[in-house]
Amino acid sequence: MTARAPKQQVDEQPPRRADALAELQATLARAGELLHSLEQSSRKVPSGSVNDLEDRLNDVVQDRDELSRRLAEYEQQTGRLMNLYVATYQLHATLDPEEVQSTIAEIATNLLGAERFALLFWKGDGSECEIALGHGLKDDPTGFYRGGHYAGGDPAVDATLTDGVLRIGPLEESDAVAVVPLTVQGAVVGALVVLKLYEHKAMLRPDDRELLDLLAAHAASALFAARVYHQTDRKLRTLESLIQLVKRG
Amino acid sequence: MPPRKILVVDDSKLLHRMFEMMLRQYPLVHAYDGKEALERLAESKDVDLVLLDMNMPRMNGLELLEAMKADERMKRIPVVLVTTEGSDEQTQRGLEAGAAAYVKKPFRNEELIAVVQRLTSNAA
Repeated sequence: MTARAPKQQVDEQPPRRADALAELQATLARAGELLHSLEQSSRKVPSGSVNDLEDRLNDVVQDRDELSRRLAEYEQQTGRLMNLYVATYQLHATLDPEEVQSTIAEIATNLLGAERFALLFWKGDGSECEIALGHGLKDDPTGFYRGGHYAGGDPAVDATLTDGVLRIGPLEESDAVAVVPLTVQGAVVGALVVLKLYEHKAMLRPDDRELLDLLAAHAASALFAARVYHQTDRKLRTLESLIQLVKRG
Repeated sequence: MPPRKILVVDDSKLLHRMFEMMLRQYPLVHAYDGKEALERLAESKDVDLVLLDMNMPRMNGLELLEAMKADERMKRIPVVLVTTEGSDEQTQRGLEAGAAAYVKKPFRNEELIAVVQRLTSNAA
């Protein structure tokens, strides 16, 4: 909005008045420009505020999504840790060797999803391994796990039984899904061989590695402790019976 | 409203321990085979949900499910089959027998919790 003085009037005025009028026209023109710019900026303020609010809202939505993602991650992590805790707890909750073996089988089946597996322990003379526990072995096509013992033949299993290294498939020249060493005080006493997973579990997940590590660390020691306790308890009972006999005699 | 009571039927002690940890907000009743589960159901008349394994000694999961669905007092209790038997045919058999949901072992904890929350809120 600009104010204009009529040109005809300016031409008719004496020179001083004409200067004043020109100055006034210039001032009016500047005022008009100022007013125009004020109008412009008054239009910009609300639209800037809306944009700012939208930006902040987007930030809040992003923060919320990030927090949801982290919460889901923490829940998964908590679930994994809980499974590990329960597995460890159950392995050491008993001194009955059969119950420890049963727990190892339950971990393999229910937590890992193993449909076919064998729990191997070196025999005393070190010639071959006994199959302390097996599941689904009658359907095993390799024929290595027959008659209650494993005499060797699977390269990955043989290697783990020697070097005590955890191996996870796919493995060269081996059908095993995973070979978990069982060690007691650094000595390899056997291995858990996972030969097949359930159909609905296509492969081992990254977090299954923690469970396999747990088995490697705890399964053998739990079973070893239970067997030692069992043997000691049996000897103690025999000795007590002998003492009773001697006392009666 | 008091928390919903859940009957856990599984022959694995490991699984019972896991459910105890996972479902701490719910009162749990435990049974280790189908026959024991029927006894627990007769004793605890306020069971709102059953988590049921399929392979168990004495009476398996499917037999228990059929017995429950044939009993007027138990037929409305929702049953979740929690099992390693994961084929489509077995899933179908379980659902046809009246299971409300099917969770395959090994399961992610949040998956099972979601099913339990859905069915216990439906029962409310």
